[in-house]
Amino acid sequence: MRGRLVLQYAVSAAVIVGAIALWELGVKTGYLKAYQFPPASRIAEGFVEIATTGFPTGITIWSHVLTTVTRILQGYLAALALAIPVGLVIGAFPLVNKMLEPVIVFCRSIATLSLLPLVIVWFGAGELTKVILIAYGCFWVMLSNVIAAVVYVDPVLIRAGRSFGLKGVALYREVVLPAALPRMFAGARMALGVGFMVIVGAEMIGTIEGLGALIMEARTFYRSEITIIGMLVIGVLGFVISTGLAALERVLLPWGATGEGARA
Amino acid sequence: MTVGREGHSQVGSGAATRVEAEPSAGSAIRISNVTKSFGAPGHGPTVLRTIDLTVRENEFVSLVGRSGCGKTTLLNIIAGLERPTSGTVEIHGRAVRGPGQGQGVVFQQHALFPWMTALRNVVFGFRDASLSKSDKQERARELLQLVGLSAAADKYPREMSGGMQQRVAIARALALDPEILLMDEPFGALDELTRIELQQELLRIWEARKKTVVFVTHSINEALALSDRVILLAPHPGRIERDLAIDLPRPRLRTDPRFIALHEEIWKGLSS
Repeated sequence: MRGRLVLQYAVSAAVIVGAIALWELGVKTGYLKAYQFPPASRIAEGFVEIATTGFPTGITIWSHVLTTVTRILQGYLAALALAIPVGLVIGAFPLVNKMLEPVIVFCRSIATLSLLPLVIVWFGAGELTKVILIAYGCFWVMLSNVIAAVVYVDPVLIRAGRSFGLKGVALYREVVLPAALPRMFAGARMALGVGFMVIVGAEMIGTIEGLGALIMEARTFYRSEITIIGMLVIGVLGFVISTGLAALERVLLPWGATGEGARA
Repeated sequence: MTVGREGHSQVGSGAATRVEAEPSAGSAIRISNVTKSFGAPGHGPTVLRTIDLTVRENEFVSLVGRSGCGKTTLLNIIAGLERPTSGTVEIHGRAVRGPGQGQGVVFQQHALFPWMTALRNVVFGFRDASLSKSDKQERARELLQLVGLSAAADKYPREMSGGMQQRVAIARALALDPEILLMDEPFGALDELTRIELQQELLRIWEARKKTVVFVTHSINEALALSDRVILLAPHPGRIERDLAIDLPRPRLRTDPRFIALHEEIWKGLSS
């Protein structure tokens, strides 16, 4: 059993290494153009450059990451701080929920980046605009998940709570709220994903710092390997943060619901 | 005892005899003329029509019937979780206006709070604000012991089998110290062996704690194994078809000829 698993990993690794080697070979022999398909060696060199002297010169990958993460967190946390209480209130009143649902679906459906020109007109091309765009994208995803989390609490749990004489605010606090937590958590994870999607677009305007800006700058100079590094770093960041959140969920909600069924 | 005068039955063996009681003396639940329909009056389907039923104190009564006969609705009305369209329900002479008037409810399944351990689920059942937290915990442990689950106090529901979960659910309902225990097919989702085990547990608890029990089931065997009285409900609209007193000593054997005769009797009542 164990041997088979090792073999599996070995094969996966061999496939990846083989693909990279073929790629490298393709560029060396001239079948692939390096500016279109920068080989692994170029990417590695690029990473050393960007980690030490920086790209554009003076801005290392670490400060790009820091800038991007800071922007995402600002927008994301603002969105959660707003979406959670608003969603809890809307979810508590079925009638209000019914009335607001079309508005929420409408707002959630607008691609966040399509708002970019308008937000720039309102708030300029500075930091605020980027944070607002992230917050917008995260907000609607979080809001609809908080509402759904409250609305779709298992009715049996509510009846059980009521059978002990609970009603109104006490019922909401003691039964509905804890029962809604897993789905709210799933919504929070999804909203963070949206933040990462929005950030790259938001950073393509009016800044030279941040991973999105890095990718745009690299494009201008045909430094495709830097673009790929930007992509990889965003991927790794998303993966690390998502894993961190999953671990946090296991600590905070040890009773083990996985919060499946949240929606984007 | 005003139930189903026409449906009143005597089995040839004499196993089922009518236990008459004064209407007022010791009646725990009195359901008078209860009708329940959904939707606008006179338009929606009528789930229950003119139900009259009196349950005596410490009596174990089962409601048996096909799906759609309104047995769960009737239970919910007694629990105060649903309001009847007309008619009244009284518990010990007080009109039922909602839950928490001495009714404890055990639901079919998955009604434990998944975010609480077994112990905390039972602690939740103690709604009495004058009890301190440690008092509640101590009593909750006693109740877990009563249902044979002392060792599982710190387990979450998802870590427990269906049988264990229903034991906790019974303990939680008992935490209210209810006069009346209402059970909605509590063992319906369990395998046969666990089910029989829990039936015996329930009888033991019922005898130890002296509760009035209303028990919804669609298993004739289960109703016969447990009850003092079996109420047969007929569907469309839900109404009381038969009211059978089960005058067999406990523990009851399914092979007992009187048990078989009663089973036959109920079977005929349900399939007619």
